[in-house]
Amino acid sequence: MQDRLHILEDLNMLYIRQMALSLEDTELQRKLDHEIRMREGACKLLAACSQREQALEATKSLLVCNSRILNYMGELQRRKEAQVLKKTGRRPSDSGPPTERSPCRGQICISDLRIPLMWKDTEYFKNKGDLHRWAVFLLLQIGEHIQDTEMILVDRTLTDISFQNNVLFAEAGPDFELRLELYGACVEEEGALAGAPKRLATKLSSSLGRSSGRRVRASLETAGGSGSSPILLPTPAVGGPRYHLLAHTTLTLAAVQDGFRTHDLTLATPEENPAWLPLYGSVCCRLVAQPLCMIQPTASGTLRVQQAGEPRDWVQVHGVLKGTNLFCYRQPEDTDAGDEPLFTIAINKETQVRAGELDQAAGWPFTLSISNRYGEEEVTHALQAESRGALQSWMEALWQLFFDMSQWKQCCDEIMKIETPAPRKPPQVLAKQGSLYHEMAIEPLDDIAAVTDILAQREGARLETPPPWLAVFTDQPALPGPCSPASVAPAPARIHSLPWGRPRTFSLDAVPPDHSPGASRLVAPLPLQRSPRSRGLCSKGPPHTWLQSPV
Amino acid sequence: MFLWPGQPFLLSVQQRVEIHKLRQGENLILGFSIGGGIDQDPSQNPFSEDKTDKGIYVTRVSEGGPAEIAGLQIGDKIMQVNGWDMTMVTHDQARKRLTKRSEEVVRLLVTRQSLDTTSMLCLPPILASAHCWVPNSEGQERIPGPA
Repeated sequence: MQDRLHILEDLNMLYIRQMALSLEDTELQRKLDHEIRMREGACKLLAACSQREQALEATKSLLVCNSRILNYMGELQRRKEAQVLKKTGRRPSDSGPPTERSPCRGQICISDLRIPLMWKDTEYFKNKGDLHRWAVFLLLQIGEHIQDTEMILVDRTLTDISFQNNVLFAEAGPDFELRLELYGACVEEEGALAGAPKRLATKLSSSLGRSSGRRVRASLETAGGSGSSPILLPTPAVGGPRYHLLAHTTLTLAAVQDGFRTHDLTLATPEENPAWLPLYGSVCCRLVAQPLCMIQPTASGTLRVQQAGEPRDWVQVHGVLKGTNLFCYRQPEDTDAGDEPLFTIAINKETQVRAGELDQAAGWPFTLSISNRYGEEEVTHALQAESRGALQSWMEALWQLFFDMSQWKQCCDEIMKIETPAPRKPPQVLAKQGSLYHEMAIEPLDDIAAVTDILAQREGARLETPPPWLAVFTDQPALPGPCSPASVAPAPARIHSLPWGRPRTFSLDAVPPDHSPGASRLVAPLPLQRSPRSRGLCSKGPPHTWLQSPV
Repeated sequence: MFLWPGQPFLLSVQQRVEIHKLRQGENLILGFSIGGGIDQDPSQNPFSEDKTDKGIYVTRVSEGGPAEIAGLQIGDKIMQVNGWDMTMVTHDQARKRLTKRSEEVVRLLVTRQSLDTTSMLCLPPILASAHCWVPNSEGQERIPGPA
């Protein structure tokens, strides 16, 4: 059965390749080849890796590759169909309908994704029971571009799933549909059962407790066919952790805002599924869009502008239409130099633009007037273009701008900032947060000379006078009669090597607590394991004291 | 029952002692001191028979204090305090169980090593008149003890 599936998959790939070749679409073909190679690599890695984390990452890469391949396949189908239609249909190229104005493309960036979780109170606060873990990641798709986020391990101690990535889509239109899908796989020993022989697995699942048995059986059942994930291809041939679609949503232009917004998620897996997570049902993110018209100049050229207050005085400027402004620079070179423009004319949705040809004006008859309303006032700027062609191109640019603004709506009010996504760092292994106590390990167990040497090296020449705690070893203060339990008082004459022999650590930086009265000579930095009575710490060596306390 | 020379005949007796705490300012005191605990070195315990015994022992009894009045004696091993076991506790746990602010009375179950005079009293009067039996290889011999 496995072999048959292998063969089918290979045939699939072959077919896809052939299609790409036949279309002679080099761009798509190149991308497809790349993805197929990545997929093969991921399969090999999955087969070879031993650690669970690696397997999860490899499975994720495999799924993303699969989804991209599927996508390209769909795209190829469409193009093939279009090509066939073109050949058969008779479409005269001249008298076609006038090309409709299409809005400019833009960049879409989604960042700061956060999906809140809803654990049961008892689970979250008491953290009882086994710590189940899940591996989750997001798949984001606009058109034929599919991007994934990093994989995050989730357990009961997290209140939200937070993704640090910025996902950027370069060429999207204002009618984009950003499909967001959350995939999860459960990281448990039970996952291993999926690979176990069926009989053993059923035996195990029936002998487990009721709820865990149910979960295991559910995972086995879904192991045969993959979850009904729309984007992902099933991966029956390759073993490894199974990702299930947990939730999805589609975001459009209406969701774009220069700020955080919460959107509803459609949950996809039932509770019986082993990968089920208690999702609250929403996703918070920052979805911004930068239409190209806002960040790139759409038209530029020489203009003559009427100076305010001087009706007859026309200044020649270099105009640059960028975003919602027409910048008028003194010289064309000023734009590159980054100088301030002479003045700026705002162009927004309410701006009125009129073109005209004034026969009576000498010189430059082609005029352009731009009117803006500021409160009660209406301010009109009159501009003159060099030629009819120039005027037409300016008008065209302005019409396009107006059209873009109507399509991109709120994105054209102000430029929304997009941070360049940082290169994805490999998952960091957090250094174990040791206290100062872990800073120093003393190798020779009870060699005081070695200890003082290390300390001397550390402190430099400052350690001229022996530290006060050293007095404990040299000068034994007598134990006061009924000594208070709070004092850290090791037995005077018993400094012998501790039996278990592991290096002890202690910190010089700890501030010695002031044990009053009388015991102030005994300073805390002594290794705490020494003290048989240290609060809260279990002493592992034989006790040296026999304390007496009054009650 | 054999008696060793010079060794008094000891028997562990369990005693119940009820101590009413005395208020001294802000504190409620019992008037004795304890030693021992599973985190302590039992070989330093002067009162225990078995030097590996990590139990809680009474090391001092204040004169005229509530403990003395109740009949607690130095060397007593505290087995229970108000029902709580004291044979497997740390020194600090023992202290805490005795000094609970909410309790004004503590009922202790203690074990005391005492001279067993009862068995001697049970012997016929002639033999009970301070005779000690000393075992030796030839069997039991009666040695007239001090009168």
